[in-house]
Amino acid sequence: MTKIQLANLQYLYKHDDCEGPHPLDTHHIVIQQNSARVFLVFLFALLLFINAIYLCLLNVTANSSSRSSKWLGTLGTIFLLSMLSNACLVKSYYGTLIEKESVVIIPSLGVQLEAHYWSGRVVRSFIPIDKILKPVLKENVTPFTCYWSLVLLVRGKKELNLAFE
Amino acid sequence: MGDPKRHRILMVSDFFYPKFGGVENHIYYLSQCLLKLGHKVVVMTHAYGNRSGVRYMTGGLKVYYVPWKPFLMQNTLPTFYGTLPIIRTILIREQISLVHGHQAFSTLCHEALMHARTMGYKVVFTDHSLYGFADVGSIHMNKVLQFTLADVSQAICVSHTSKENTVLRSGLPPEKVYVIPNAVDTAMFKPTAERPSGNEIVIVVISRLVYRKGADLLVEVIPEVCRMYPNIYFKVRFIVGGDGPKRVRLEEMREKHSLQDRVEMLGAVPHARVRSVLISGHIFLNSSLTEAFCIAILEAASCGLLTVSTRVLPDDMIVLAEPDPTDMVQAIKKAMSILPMIDPQDMHNRKLYDWHDVAKRTEIVYDRALKCANQNLLERLSRYLACGAWAGKLFCLVMIIDFLLWRLLQLWKPAEDIEVVPDIVLSHDEDREISQDFQVFNKDHSLR
Repeated sequence: MTKIQLANLQYLYKHDDCEGPHPLDTHHIVIQQNSARVFLVFLFALLLFINAIYLCLLNVTANSSSRSSKWLGTLGTIFLLSMLSNACLVKSYYGTLIEKESVVIIPSLGVQLEAHYWSGRVVRSFIPIDKILKPVLKENVTPFTCYWSLVLLVRGKKELNLAFE
Repeated sequence: MGDPKRHRILMVSDFFYPKFGGVENHIYYLSQCLLKLGHKVVVMTHAYGNRSGVRYMTGGLKVYYVPWKPFLMQNTLPTFYGTLPIIRTILIREQISLVHGHQAFSTLCHEALMHARTMGYKVVFTDHSLYGFADVGSIHMNKVLQFTLADVSQAICVSHTSKENTVLRSGLPPEKVYVIPNAVDTAMFKPTAERPSGNEIVIVVISRLVYRKGADLLVEVIPEVCRMYPNIYFKVRFIVGGDGPKRVRLEEMREKHSLQDRVEMLGAVPHARVRSVLISGHIFLNSSLTEAFCIAILEAASCGLLTVSTRVLPDDMIVLAEPDPTDMVQAIKKAMSILPMIDPQDMHNRKLYDWHDVAKRTEIVYDRALKCANQNLLERLSRYLACGAWAGKLFCLVMIIDFLLWRLLQLWKPAEDIEVVPDIVLSHDEDREISQDFQVFNKDHSLR
């Protein structure tokens, strides 16, 4: 069993080549979590929260009692909505954040693609070997950048694979 | 990168295949000849419909179709700084040494040259057209050109007239401008073995039927020539190829003078068929009012036709006329009288304009451009200040913001993160294999 490990600032690449009765070739790419990015997301959420509280406090102290109930109702709604949007934001961010991606090559059977997300969700897809036409290195051009990605040409449709970032 | 003479060039323009025209042809042929000389060439243009991403053309020419939508006349939307990230990425991943922009009317070209200068690359600009000075559009275009050319390493124009025009419009010192004419693909434009005989003279006109190409002059010249040469001794026929807003006027002229049997309207002629139309004639008529460099005349001369035109070729290959109907009629008369003395093969063999020659001369310009000194931001800003009282300060501000954005981009996406593209060199065998496949395909076609 041969193990190769390469690392740079953003990614960690692991390769397990298992030979013997059940040969298995696994490649993992683990995204080194960028603490700065996590910090920024939490900071943003915190700022929204503080903003909501500030609005509440400002209007509660400024207004007279006759209209206070109406204002309290409005502010309460704003507060709740902002908390909800915060929660949605953080959840969606973590929902789409990928922790690790793997390609498992099972000779004579096919290829399995896995994506492990931070929320614990795992998405797997298996492509049988007779469906694979060719693996191709593709250059993706977007309006702002250009990057390589590994693509498997599958009979019937095109499929993207491996490191999304 | 062991060979110091090998350049790595990025050609930038809004105008490239699949759109068809003079600039596109120029970029393609020049790139192919430079590839043959051993340099690396990459082309960058905007996406055309579905055609987006990276494509490879003959000889390993890599084309980036960047997905920025065109907004006006095939030009990318000018966002000033929007294209900075993608241009930086392309320059780093292809390890470009020099950026060559084409056509003053192309916004992508101007932006690319600006960003390339900010990042310290050497820059060459080629102007393909003539522009006026008086109308609002021209004034703005000239100001933009002045901005771009204030800091360009070298400039190329396609004719001496074009050089004069560019120097006047942009205020560039004439020593920086080189004249390298366009060329014609002589392999494609060959005369026939036998000239079309019979007792008729065929005059061919192929151009876009717009005001600038003198379509209005044609409306007056054609009936006059037909009137001067009624079908008594020999027939004079016209073949008009091309389409445009003035086509209606030509059709009306045809109806009015009942010239349906003497004037044939072909409509738009695809470039692949131009040669077959040219070789069916004896004289080529070009009535353009203004032209930086008329490739049409060269193509006609390469096919062995005598030319009547308002522009320039050697005296024995062309009859000149003023853009005035009477003068043009006289010129056609003179052309018809000297027609028997013309040998088409001799004209074709003159080899005046050849793409390999153009590529070699362009290579010299690149060598000179790369020898220019590196300048830092402050020295470059002084050049922009000279552009005008208000404009100079505005240009300086634009360049300073560009510089700051570039530094920000360097921090956010460091150059080490951008993967360098390995050089793909087509071996001689692979090239032959591809051409053999092509031959097989051709054989099938002809069998059908």
